[in-house]
Amino acid sequence: MIVIISVPVILSNALTTISMTKLVPLSLIALAGFSSTAFATQYLTAEQAQQTIFPEANSFKPLPLQLDAAQMKQVEKLSGLPARSVAWRTVAAYKDDRLLGYVVFDEVVGKFELISYAVGLQADATVQQVEIMAYRESHGFEIRNANWRRQFVGKTAGNGLVIGEGIANISGATLSCAHVTDGVRRIAAIVQVALKK
Amino acid sequence: MMRRAQPALGTLVEISLSDVGNEASRDAFQDAFASIHAIHRLMSFHEAASDISCYNRASVGAILDIDAHTARVLSAARRVTELSDGLFDIRVANCLVALDYLPAPDTSLPAYRRQKQAYRLLPGNQLQKLSADWLDVGGIAKGYAVDCAIAALQAHGVQHACVNAGGDLRVLGKPQAVAIRDPRQPQSMAGQWLLGDRAMATSASYFSAKRVNDEAVCALIDGRTGKTIQGKRSYTVMADECIWADALTKVLAASADVQHPCLRHFAAEAFII
Repeated sequence: MIVIISVPVILSNALTTISMTKLVPLSLIALAGFSSTAFATQYLTAEQAQQTIFPEANSFKPLPLQLDAAQMKQVEKLSGLPARSVAWRTVAAYKDDRLLGYVVFDEVVGKFELISYAVGLQADATVQQVEIMAYRESHGFEIRNANWRRQFVGKTAGNGLVIGEGIANISGATLSCAHVTDGVRRIAAIVQVALKK
Repeated sequence: MMRRAQPALGTLVEISLSDVGNEASRDAFQDAFASIHAIHRLMSFHEAASDISCYNRASVGAILDIDAHTARVLSAARRVTELSDGLFDIRVANCLVALDYLPAPDTSLPAYRRQKQAYRLLPGNQLQKLSADWLDVGGIAKGYAVDCAIAALQAHGVQHACVNAGGDLRVLGKPQAVAIRDPRQPQSMAGQWLLGDRAMATSASYFSAKRVNDEAVCALIDGRTGKTIQGKRSYTVMADECIWADALTKVLAASADVQHPCLRHFAAEAFII
């Protein structure tokens, strides 16, 4: 439902004071003191991610990766980043008997966010594609604010909130993806050191 | 709804499709993400081979061959700079490097002087460097990339979708709910809007605020002064195309005027939280 309101609008019960130009369609619950805590978005499961990166693959074989001390050092030298972990969750993608490449799964934590992602690499360790699998924001924040779930009760897709999937879109200042790009660089180094043919 | 996200443009880019089947969506996603990555490669400040990096390293007077996309973005940036009387200026790269938001290209830091003509666009997608400035199109190219991705989706017959480049977004087709962060508590949402066939972008300091030499700074720069815009507010602009919404948030932030003539010129709506 869309409500047309005229300007300026000052909402005294909200944390926010908002002034607007012209006539603006506003959803019913917009800005009316509503404050919800975001959220988790699931984009792809691990299986979907590997198939998305290697659509032509017809089998994926787990390839548990353990780095030894020398390999860890090499990874740090190549990527300029701490190797961070000894064990890496990896699968090899095949079309019949032909090796297409690898997918490495990882998670990074930022100031507000926890991001799970999959990096697809060709057999020569070239990064082919990066897919975000899940994005969770403000983990821990929910626990401090036990009431936050209640705000979702009774709010359905009809008034814009998609329960379980988080809010569809967020407009905001750009959140840096530096942690993910660092993570991708580290994984490229790991595959080059440990798996490159 | 099908949603995917990839890191690009220095942020996370999310594409959601509402109306297509599995097979068709795969190609649509692929082309839309490919167009985003193409804009990234052409215009990234960080990538040594981008058109923008080539400009930043070039000597004054040099004439460079650039991609048609880059020419379009530089022409659009010029337009917004002129219409905003210098509130928006992609030469703020100088200031962003000085504040360590961007890495220095391999020349010495140029001083920031208001409203200097830094480049001239020549026929045949050529760019002439007119002053010893650095350019950063981070305040406009994300919006342009979103528009390119929307065009790629449309070419696949997609009618309902949303492309969101880290907060600068555009909805194609039927309205979707868009939540806006509370600038004082960015993990929470101040509210949400229904946005249909329109773009929205928000600028704020909450993710970039830091202290340099005991002074509070952020990555939002006033093009007239080259100084950081102070205050914990956020600036949201809605326009038909995301390139304008993106660039105009900087005009709004620097002017704090939701009725600024430059916004009206682009039939943009705006609010400040």
